[in-house]
Amino acid sequence: MKSCLIVDDSRVVRKVAGRIVQDLRFETREASDGAEALDACRQQMPDAILLDWSMPVMNGLDFVRALRREHEGRKPVVVFCSTENDAEHIGEALRSGANEFIMKPFDADIIESKFAEVGLI
Amino acid sequence: MEETVFREIAELARKGSGQHIPPTKSYLVEARLSSILRREGLSGVEDLVAILNARPDSKLSIEIAAALTSKRTRFFSERGTLERIAKLVLPEVAKRARDGRIRVWCAGGSTGQEALSLAILINEMGKDALEDVQVEIVTTDICERTSASARSGIFGHFEIQKGLSARRMLAHFTRLDTSEWQASHALASQIGVRTHNLMQSAEGLGMFDVILCRNVITDMTKDARTRALLNAARQLSERGLLFLGETESAAGLIAGLEPSRAIRGGYNRNVDAGDLTVAA
Repeated sequence: MKSCLIVDDSRVVRKVAGRIVQDLRFETREASDGAEALDACRQQMPDAILLDWSMPVMNGLDFVRALRREHEGRKPVVVFCSTENDAEHIGEALRSGANEFIMKPFDADIIESKFAEVGLI
Repeated sequence: MEETVFREIAELARKGSGQHIPPTKSYLVEARLSSILRREGLSGVEDLVAILNARPDSKLSIEIAAALTSKRTRFFSERGTLERIAKLVLPEVAKRARDGRIRVWCAGGSTGQEALSLAILINEMGKDALEDVQVEIVTTDICERTSASARSGIFGHFEIQKGLSARRMLAHFTRLDTSEWQASHALASQIGVRTHNLMQSAEGLGMFDVILCRNVITDMTKDARTRALLNAARQLSERGLLFLGETESAAGLIAGLEPSRAIRGGYNRNVDAGDLTVAA
Protein backbone atom coordinates (compact mmCIF):
# COMPACT_ATOMS: atom_id res chain seq x y z
CA MET A 1 0.00 0.00 0.00
CA LYS A 2 1.29 3.48 -0.88
CA SER A 3 1.54 6.11 1.81
CA CYS A 4 0.40 9.73 1.78
CA LEU A 5 1.28 12.45 4.27
CA ILE A 6 -1.47 15.06 4.60
CA VAL A 7 -0.17 18.43 5.71
CA ASP A 8 -2.70 21.11 6.64
CA ASP A 9 -3.28 23.26 9.70
CA SER A 10 -7.02 22.63 9.50
CA ARG A 11 -8.11 19.43 11.21
CA VAL A 12 -11.26 19.36 9.07
CA VAL A 13 -9.31 19.57 5.82
CA ARG A 14 -6.95 16.81 7.00
CA LYS A 15 -9.93 14.64 7.82
CA VAL A 16 -11.76 15.24 4.53
CA ALA A 17 -8.64 14.85 2.39
CA GLY A 18 -7.60 11.81 4.44
CA ARG A 19 -10.83 9.98 3.65
CA ILE A 20 -10.58 10.75 -0.05
CA VAL A 21 -6.96 9.59 -0.22
CA GLN A 22 -7.77 6.44 1.76
CA ASP A 23 -10.49 5.66 -0.79
CA LEU A 24 -7.69 5.76 -3.37
CA ARG A 25 -6.01 3.02 -1.33
CA PHE A 26 -3.35 5.08 0.41
CA GLU A 27 -2.24 4.71 3.98
CA THR A 28 -2.33 8.20 5.50
CA ARG A 29 -0.42 10.14 8.14
CA GLU A 30 -1.09 13.73 9.17
CA ALA A 31 0.94 16.80 10.03
CA SER A 32 -0.37 20.25 10.94
CA ASP A 33 2.53 22.36 9.68
CA GLY A 34 5.71 22.15 7.61
CA ALA A 35 8.01 21.47 10.55
CA GLU A 36 5.90 18.53 11.73
CA ALA A 37 5.76 17.28 8.16
CA LEU A 38 9.53 17.42 7.86
CA ASP A 39 9.87 15.36 11.05
CA ALA A 40 7.39 12.83 9.69
CA CYS A 41 9.37 12.58 6.45
CA ARG A 42 12.65 12.03 8.34
CA GLN A 43 11.04 9.12 10.15
CA GLN A 44 9.69 7.65 6.94
CA MET A 45 9.52 9.12 3.45
CA PRO A 46 5.93 8.87 2.13
CA ASP A 47 5.10 8.16 -1.51
CA ALA A 48 2.89 11.22 -1.72
CA ILE A 49 2.44 14.48 0.16
CA LEU A 50 -0.72 16.57 -0.02
CA LEU A 51 0.45 19.99 1.06
CA ASP A 52 -1.28 23.18 2.21
CA TRP A 53 0.40 26.52 1.51
CA SER A 54 -0.14 28.85 4.46
CA MET A 55 0.47 27.21 7.82
CA PRO A 56 2.04 28.42 11.07
CA VAL A 57 5.66 27.57 12.01
CA MET A 58 6.71 26.45 8.51
CA ASN A 59 4.62 27.08 5.40
CA GLY A 60 4.20 24.70 2.49
CA LEU A 61 6.63 26.44 0.18
CA ASP A 62 9.44 26.44 2.75
CA PHE A 63 8.63 22.82 3.52
CA VAL A 64 8.90 21.61 -0.06
CA ARG A 65 12.20 23.44 -0.56
CA ALA A 66 13.58 21.90 2.64
CA LEU A 67 12.21 18.48 1.76
CA ARG A 68 13.92 18.43 -1.63
CA ARG A 69 17.28 18.95 0.11
CA GLU A 70 16.73 15.99 2.45
CA HIS A 71 18.19 12.54 1.91
CA GLU A 72 15.64 10.77 -0.38
CA GLY A 73 13.69 14.03 -0.36
CA ARG A 74 13.21 13.91 -4.14
CA LYS A 75 11.23 10.70 -3.85
CA PRO A 76 7.81 11.85 -2.62
CA VAL A 77 5.35 13.23 -5.14
CA VAL A 78 4.25 16.57 -3.73
CA VAL A 79 0.78 17.86 -4.57
CA PHE A 80 0.07 21.35 -3.31
CA CYS A 81 -3.46 21.95 -2.14
CA SER A 82 -4.06 25.59 -1.51
CA THR A 83 -6.37 28.59 -1.62
CA GLU A 84 -3.47 30.67 -3.00
CA ASN A 85 -4.56 29.84 -6.49
CA ASP A 86 -3.47 32.59 -8.85
CA ALA A 87 -1.01 31.82 -11.63
CA GLU A 88 1.94 33.38 -9.78
CA HIS A 89 1.51 31.20 -6.70
CA ILE A 90 0.93 28.04 -8.71
CA GLY A 91 3.99 28.73 -10.84
CA GLU A 92 6.13 29.39 -7.77
CA ALA A 93 4.98 26.15 -6.15
CA LEU A 94 5.87 24.13 -9.25
CA ARG A 95 9.26 25.83 -9.60
CA SER A 96 10.00 25.15 -5.94
CA GLY A 97 9.69 21.41 -6.33
CA ALA A 98 5.97 20.59 -6.19
CA ASN A 99 4.76 18.11 -8.81
CA GLU A 100 1.14 19.16 -9.01
CA PHE A 101 -1.23 21.79 -7.69
CA ILE A 102 -4.82 21.53 -6.49
CA MET A 103 -6.79 24.71 -6.02
CA LYS A 104 -9.04 24.65 -2.96
CA PRO A 105 -11.87 23.90 -2.60
CA PHE A 106 -11.39 20.37 -3.93
CA ASP A 107 -13.56 17.30 -4.29
CA ALA A 108 -12.74 13.59 -4.56
CA ASP A 109 -12.77 13.74 -8.35
CA ILE A 110 -10.14 16.49 -8.45
CA ILE A 111 -7.80 14.67 -6.06
CA GLU A 112 -8.19 11.48 -8.07
CA SER A 113 -7.58 13.33 -11.34
CA LYS A 114 -4.46 15.09 -10.03
CA PHE A 115 -3.06 11.93 -8.44
CA ALA A 116 -3.51 10.18 -11.79
CA GLU A 117 -1.79 13.10 -13.52
CA VAL A 118 1.39 12.52 -11.53
CA GLY A 119 1.23 8.74 -11.80
CA LEU A 120 0.32 8.01 -8.17
CA ILE A 121 -2.68 5.93 -9.21
CA MET B 1 -42.44 12.65 -11.78
CA GLU B 2 -45.51 10.82 -13.04
CA GLU B 3 -44.90 7.97 -15.40
CA THR B 4 -46.96 9.51 -18.19
CA VAL B 5 -44.94 12.73 -17.93
CA PHE B 6 -41.68 10.83 -18.01
CA ARG B 7 -42.83 8.84 -21.05
CA GLU B 8 -43.67 12.00 -22.97
CA ILE B 9 -40.33 13.60 -22.17
CA ALA B 10 -38.43 10.42 -23.03
CA GLU B 11 -40.25 10.28 -26.37
CA LEU B 12 -39.40 13.90 -27.06
CA ALA B 13 -35.72 13.13 -26.37
CA ARG B 14 -35.80 10.07 -28.63
CA LYS B 15 -37.32 12.02 -31.51
CA GLY B 16 -35.17 15.10 -31.04
CA SER B 17 -31.72 13.70 -30.36
CA GLY B 18 -32.00 9.91 -30.61
CA GLN B 19 -31.27 9.69 -26.92
CA HIS B 20 -32.61 6.75 -24.96
CA ILE B 21 -33.53 7.67 -21.37
CA PRO B 22 -34.49 4.51 -19.44
CA PRO B 23 -37.04 4.91 -16.62
CA THR B 24 -34.26 4.16 -14.11
CA LYS B 25 -32.66 7.44 -15.15
CA SER B 26 -35.74 9.62 -14.82
CA TYR B 27 -33.90 11.59 -12.12
CA LEU B 28 -31.72 13.04 -14.88
CA VAL B 29 -34.68 14.72 -16.49
CA GLU B 30 -35.45 17.26 -13.76
CA ALA B 31 -31.80 18.13 -13.25
CA ARG B 32 -31.11 18.66 -16.94
CA LEU B 33 -34.29 20.68 -17.52
CA SER B 34 -33.93 22.84 -14.43
CA SER B 35 -32.62 25.91 -16.24
CA ILE B 36 -35.41 25.79 -18.85
CA LEU B 37 -38.00 25.36 -16.08
CA ARG B 38 -36.53 28.33 -14.23
CA ARG B 39 -36.51 30.52 -17.31
CA GLU B 40 -40.11 29.64 -18.18
CA GLY B 41 -41.18 30.16 -14.58
CA LEU B 42 -42.47 26.59 -14.26
CA SER B 43 -42.46 24.52 -11.10
CA GLY B 44 -42.02 21.10 -12.67
CA VAL B 45 -41.55 18.96 -15.77
CA GLU B 46 -45.29 18.18 -15.86
CA ASP B 47 -46.00 21.90 -16.50
CA LEU B 48 -43.55 21.87 -19.40
CA VAL B 49 -45.25 18.82 -20.90
CA ALA B 50 -48.68 20.42 -20.42
CA ILE B 51 -47.54 23.58 -22.22
CA LEU B 52 -46.14 21.61 -25.15
CA ASN B 53 -49.32 19.54 -25.41
CA ALA B 54 -51.52 22.65 -25.39
CA ARG B 55 -49.39 24.48 -27.93
CA PRO B 56 -46.75 22.52 -29.81
CA ASP B 57 -43.59 24.61 -30.03
CA SER B 58 -40.89 23.05 -32.13
CA LYS B 59 -38.21 25.48 -30.99
CA LEU B 60 -38.86 24.66 -27.34
CA SER B 61 -39.00 20.92 -28.11
CA ILE B 62 -35.63 21.06 -29.82
CA GLU B 63 -34.20 22.97 -26.89
CA ILE B 64 -35.55 20.41 -24.42
CA ALA B 65 -34.15 17.46 -26.39
CA ALA B 66 -30.76 19.20 -26.51
CA ALA B 67 -30.79 20.01 -22.81
CA LEU B 68 -31.52 16.36 -21.98
CA THR B 69 -28.27 15.09 -23.52
CA SER B 70 -25.24 14.43 -21.34
CA LYS B 71 -22.71 17.26 -21.10
CA ARG B 72 -20.29 15.14 -19.17
CA THR B 73 -16.70 15.61 -20.30
CA ARG B 74 -13.25 16.43 -18.98
CA PHE B 75 -9.83 17.36 -20.25
CA PHE B 76 -7.79 14.51 -21.74
CA SER B 77 -10.59 12.02 -21.35
CA GLU B 78 -9.43 8.59 -22.62
CA ARG B 79 -6.11 10.25 -23.31
CA GLY B 80 -4.55 7.26 -25.04
CA THR B 81 -6.78 7.88 -28.06
CA LEU B 82 -5.97 11.58 -28.12
CA GLU B 83 -2.25 10.88 -27.95
CA ARG B 84 -2.47 8.33 -30.76
CA ILE B 85 -4.29 10.87 -32.90
CA ALA B 86 -1.79 13.65 -32.18
CA LYS B 87 1.39 11.60 -32.43
CA LEU B 88 0.56 8.91 -35.00
CA VAL B 89 -2.39 10.01 -37.10
CA LEU B 90 -1.89 13.74 -37.64
CA PRO B 91 1.78 13.55 -38.76
CA GLU B 92 0.74 10.98 -41.39
CA VAL B 93 -2.19 13.09 -42.54
CA ALA B 94 0.11 16.13 -42.66
CA LYS B 95 2.39 14.39 -45.17
CA ARG B 96 -0.41 14.04 -47.68
CA ALA B 97 -2.32 17.24 -46.85
CA ARG B 98 -2.52 18.91 -50.24
CA ASP B 99 -4.11 22.22 -49.31
CA GLY B 100 -1.86 22.74 -46.28
CA ARG B 101 -4.44 21.97 -43.64
CA ILE B 102 -5.91 19.14 -41.63
CA ARG B 103 -9.49 19.15 -40.43
CA VAL B 104 -10.61 17.45 -37.21
CA TRP B 105 -14.19 17.17 -35.97
CA CYS B 106 -15.09 16.63 -32.32
CA ALA B 107 -18.69 15.45 -32.74
CA GLY B 108 -20.73 15.79 -29.57
CA GLY B 109 -17.81 17.72 -28.11
CA SER B 110 -19.82 19.30 -25.29
CA THR B 111 -18.10 22.28 -23.66
CA GLY B 112 -14.91 21.94 -25.70
CA GLN B 113 -12.49 20.08 -23.42
CA GLU B 114 -11.85 17.41 -26.07
CA ALA B 115 -11.00 19.95 -28.77
CA LEU B 116 -8.79 21.92 -26.38
CA SER B 117 -6.96 18.80 -25.20
CA LEU B 118 -6.14 17.93 -28.79
CA ALA B 119 -5.08 21.51 -29.51
CA ILE B 120 -2.76 21.39 -26.46
CA LEU B 121 -1.12 18.19 -27.70
CA ILE B 122 -0.68 19.67 -31.18
CA ASN B 123 0.81 22.85 -29.71
CA GLU B 124 3.25 20.87 -27.60
CA MET B 125 4.43 18.85 -30.61
CA GLY B 126 5.53 22.01 -32.39
CA LYS B 127 5.07 22.98 -36.00
CA ASP B 128 7.80 20.75 -37.41
CA ALA B 129 6.01 17.55 -36.43
CA LEU B 130 3.16 18.52 -38.73
CA GLU B 131 5.35 20.06 -41.44
CA ASP B 132 3.77 23.50 -40.93
CA VAL B 133 0.35 22.14 -41.83
CA GLN B 134 -2.46 23.98 -40.02
CA VAL B 135 -4.90 21.93 -37.97
CA GLU B 136 -8.46 23.18 -37.85
CA ILE B 137 -10.59 21.62 -35.12
CA VAL B 138 -14.37 21.91 -35.26
CA THR B 139 -16.25 20.99 -32.11
CA THR B 140 -20.01 20.58 -32.24
CA ASP B 141 -22.74 19.99 -29.71
CA ILE B 142 -26.47 19.66 -30.10
CA CYS B 143 -27.09 22.21 -27.38
CA GLU B 144 -26.89 25.96 -28.07
CA ARG B 145 -25.97 26.79 -24.48
CA THR B 146 -23.21 24.20 -24.43
CA SER B 147 -21.81 25.57 -27.69
CA ALA B 148 -21.82 29.07 -26.23
CA SER B 149 -19.87 27.79 -23.26
CA ALA B 150 -17.36 26.04 -25.56
CA ARG B 151 -17.02 29.22 -27.59
CA SER B 152 -16.14 31.26 -24.50
CA GLY B 153 -13.27 28.91 -23.70
CA ILE B 154 -13.91 29.68 -20.03
CA PHE B 155 -13.83 26.97 -17.36
CA GLY B 156 -14.77 27.06 -13.71
CA HIS B 157 -12.72 26.07 -10.70
CA PHE B 158 -13.79 22.41 -10.80
CA GLU B 159 -13.83 21.86 -14.57
CA ILE B 160 -10.33 23.27 -15.10
CA GLN B 161 -8.88 20.82 -12.55
CA LYS B 162 -10.31 17.65 -14.06
CA GLY B 163 -7.92 15.91 -16.40
CA LEU B 164 -5.63 18.90 -16.78
CA SER B 165 -2.25 19.23 -15.08
CA ALA B 166 -1.36 22.47 -13.30
CA ARG B 167 1.54 22.95 -15.73
CA ARG B 168 -0.72 22.75 -18.77
CA MET B 169 -3.28 24.95 -17.06
CA LEU B 170 -0.65 27.66 -16.55
CA ALA B 171 0.81 27.24 -20.02
CA HIS B 172 -2.47 27.41 -21.93
CA PHE B 173 -5.00 29.26 -19.77
CA THR B 174 -5.26 32.65 -18.10
CA ARG B 175 -6.94 33.20 -14.77
CA LEU B 176 -9.78 35.73 -14.89
CA ASP B 177 -10.85 38.03 -12.06
CA THR B 178 -13.84 35.73 -11.56
CA SER B 179 -11.40 32.89 -10.66
CA GLU B 180 -12.37 31.15 -13.87
CA TRP B 181 -9.76 30.17 -16.44
CA GLN B 182 -9.82 31.08 -20.12
CA ALA B 183 -8.13 29.21 -22.95
CA SER B 184 -5.30 31.07 -24.67
CA HIS B 185 -5.80 32.76 -28.00
CA ALA B 186 -3.37 30.29 -29.57
CA LEU B 187 -5.65 27.38 -28.70
CA ALA B 188 -8.96 29.15 -29.30
CA SER B 189 -7.87 30.32 -32.76
CA GLN B 190 -7.51 26.70 -33.87
CA ILE B 191 -11.01 25.73 -32.77
CA GLY B 192 -14.36 26.46 -34.39
CA VAL B 193 -17.56 25.83 -32.45
CA ARG B 194 -20.89 24.94 -34.07
CA THR B 195 -24.27 23.75 -32.86
CA HIS B 196 -25.13 20.54 -34.67
CA ASN B 197 -27.50 17.62 -34.17
CA LEU B 198 -25.93 14.28 -35.12
CA MET B 199 -29.34 13.04 -36.22
CA GLN B 200 -29.02 15.41 -39.18
CA SER B 201 -26.69 15.42 -42.17
CA ALA B 202 -23.35 17.06 -41.36
CA GLU B 203 -22.65 17.97 -44.96
CA GLY B 204 -22.56 21.65 -44.04
CA LEU B 205 -19.54 21.08 -41.83
CA GLY B 206 -17.45 19.76 -44.73
CA MET B 207 -15.07 16.81 -44.87
CA PHE B 208 -12.69 15.78 -42.08
CA ASP B 209 -9.43 13.85 -41.85
CA VAL B 210 -10.18 12.80 -38.28
CA ILE B 211 -13.56 12.55 -36.57
CA LEU B 212 -13.93 11.92 -32.84
CA CYS B 213 -17.38 10.82 -31.73
CA ARG B 214 -16.55 9.47 -28.30
CA ASN B 215 -19.06 8.37 -25.70
CA VAL B 216 -21.84 10.11 -27.59
CA ILE B 217 -23.72 7.21 -29.22
CA THR B 218 -23.73 5.23 -25.97
CA ASP B 219 -26.81 7.10 -24.77
CA MET B 220 -28.68 6.60 -28.04
CA THR B 221 -31.26 4.11 -29.30
CA LYS B 222 -29.84 1.57 -31.76
CA ASP B 223 -31.49 3.30 -34.73
CA ALA B 224 -30.08 6.63 -33.63
CA ARG B 225 -26.58 5.20 -33.19
CA THR B 226 -26.61 3.96 -36.74
CA ARG B 227 -27.90 7.27 -38.02
CA ALA B 228 -25.34 9.30 -36.07
CA LEU B 229 -22.49 7.08 -37.26
CA LEU B 230 -23.67 7.21 -40.85
CA ASN B 231 -23.94 11.01 -40.74
CA ALA B 232 -20.46 11.26 -39.24
CA ALA B 233 -18.79 8.67 -41.47
CA ARG B 234 -20.10 10.41 -44.60
CA GLN B 235 -17.90 13.38 -43.67
CA LEU B 236 -14.72 11.28 -43.56
CA SER B 237 -12.23 12.35 -46.20
CA GLU B 238 -10.35 9.79 -48.28
CA ARG B 239 -8.35 7.71 -45.75
CA GLY B 240 -9.96 9.68 -42.90
CA LEU B 241 -10.33 8.04 -39.49
CA LEU B 242 -13.29 7.92 -37.15
CA PHE B 243 -12.77 7.30 -33.41
CA LEU B 244 -15.38 6.18 -30.90
CA GLY B 245 -15.15 5.89 -27.13
CA GLU B 246 -12.98 3.10 -25.70
CA THR B 247 -15.99 0.98 -24.78
CA GLU B 248 -17.96 1.72 -27.95
CA SER B 249 -18.03 -0.17 -31.22
CA ALA B 250 -19.33 0.49 -34.70
CA ALA B 251 -19.14 -3.20 -35.57
CA GLY B 252 -22.00 -4.32 -37.76
CA LEU B 253 -23.74 -0.95 -37.85
CA ILE B 254 -22.52 0.66 -41.09
CA ALA B 255 -21.71 -1.18 -44.32
CA GLY B 256 -18.46 0.22 -45.68
CA LEU B 257 -17.03 1.36 -42.33
CA GLU B 258 -14.29 -0.92 -41.02
CA PRO B 259 -11.80 -0.96 -38.14
CA SER B 260 -8.48 0.53 -39.26
CA ARG B 261 -5.62 -1.94 -39.59
CA ALA B 262 -3.03 0.70 -38.81
CA ILE B 263 -4.51 2.66 -35.92
CA ARG B 264 -6.06 0.99 -32.90
CA GLY B 265 -9.57 2.26 -32.20
CA GLY B 266 -9.92 4.00 -35.57
CA TYR B 267 -12.41 3.24 -38.34
CA ASN B 268 -11.89 3.79 -42.08
CA ARG B 269 -14.47 3.85 -44.80
CA ASN B 270 -13.62 1.47 -47.63
CA VAL B 271 -16.27 2.74 -50.05
CA ASP B 272 -17.08 6.23 -51.35
CA ALA B 273 -18.62 8.44 -48.70
CA GLY B 274 -21.91 8.47 -50.60
CA ASP B 275 -22.02 4.67 -50.72
CA LEU B 276 -21.96 4.14 -46.96
CA THR B 277 -25.21 2.57 -45.85
CA VAL B 278 -26.91 1.13 -42.81
CA ALA B 279 -25.79 -2.50 -42.49
CA ALA B 280 -28.48 -5.01 -43.33
